[in-house]
Amino acid sequence: MSAIRVAAVMGVVGTAVGLLALAACASSPDENRLTVVITPDFDTYVASVDAYLTRRCGSLDCHGQPGRAYRIYSREGYRLYTIQDGSLVSGQQPTQAEEQRANFQALVSLEPEEMSRLMGRQGENPNQLLFLRKPLKIERHKGGPAMAEDDPGYRCVVAWLQIPVVQGDGTPIPPAQRAKLSTNALRNCATASDFP
Amino acid sequence: MRHPHHSLRERVGRSLGLFAGVVLVGSLGSSCNLDPVHRAGVNNLGDEQGGLYPPESAYHRPGEPCALCHSAAGPAGLQFVLAGTIFWGPDRYDRRVNKAYVRIGGPEKTTKCFVTNCNGNFFVRSEDYKNLKFPLLVSVERVIDPGGPGPTAEKSIRVRRMSSHIGREASCATCHILGLRDFGSPGQIRLYDTESEVDTAKPPIPAQCPNVDEPPLTQCPEDRL
Repeated sequence: MSAIRVAAVMGVVGTAVGLLALAACASSPDENRLTVVITPDFDTYVASVDAYLTRRCGSLDCHGQPGRAYRIYSREGYRLYTIQDGSLVSGQQPTQAEEQRANFQALVSLEPEEMSRLMGRQGENPNQLLFLRKPLKIERHKGGPAMAEDDPGYRCVVAWLQIPVVQGDGTPIPPAQRAKLSTNALRNCATASDFP
Repeated sequence: MRHPHHSLRERVGRSLGLFAGVVLVGSLGSSCNLDPVHRAGVNNLGDEQGGLYPPESAYHRPGEPCALCHSAAGPAGLQFVLAGTIFWGPDRYDRRVNKAYVRIGGPEKTTKCFVTNCNGNFFVRSEDYKNLKFPLLVSVERVIDPGGPGPTAEKSIRVRRMSSHIGREASCATCHILGLRDFGSPGQIRLYDTESEVDTAKPPIPAQCPNVDEPPLTQCPEDRL
């Protein structure tokens, strides 16, 4: 091997080692840093939306699985085993309040920044959310189309997302002062909860 | 400096080697399962239990995830779009429901009924249920004497309906794990929730399976002419 080739190889190796060393020197993450997320109305979610989403999406062969980014706990599917000494059994006890909270958190955590933007514009153009783009098949969804824009489940979810949680200037609206779902939206949620 | 004859020979040899490599990899890909997750799933099923059922038959591996092997990824020849095993109780492996009617309803209001064999197994091939679409609703019924004579033959002993739907899974046992009830599985598909209820009900359990003297029942009442 010629001296020039040896030098070239040495140069490449040296550059790679240097880049690795630089990457190792990157600053450590700031554990005190917080990202504030503007979340949709939790009480409405629990009262009207969770039942539909757990029913439609939370079966054990779909989102009722620990490996899912949008992971759902419910009576009919996967159970939250860190409560009640792990005694909850799939298909047995009713869905628990802790499970509903975990479902809400999973939903919001899918795209926290996008959810904040959606809440900031008071629910306008909700199909920006991955959470809706997938079941509508705007984006690839392994489970196929799970919602349509004219079905009661979609309308229930959108009505919930369009409850204003901040004012136009960004001032938070306290939960007690927030709007409620309309009669029509409540009917859609009830119909959707009986899926299929 | 390269010798011209050697160079030609080398090039022909390299080409042949490359061709053989492509053929080898291609044949490996077509004959072996190159998906490590699927391969591990199949391997984890273990060997057939010849003492419990006739191996590689319609009666084999009750309670195991049928469509793991009976899928496009193989290794079984037949492909199932839905398959499973029905048990009488939640714990015992040996008490399975023969001649149970498994009714499957699709989203387009289509309903098909399938009958379990003497080992409690049922399976649905794509040609058995054309245009099958998920989600599916499923119920299981066992009558007194399926297909038998007499006015009470088709009277129900027990009917169970799934409280949720099947989203897309073809193997019942992927969720209904044999003998296990916990946070991640409702347990094996069963007609009674306790074994003591099964003891009390004294359901019919075939003494022999398969039984050449007893022809298998293949049609539900609604499909019989």
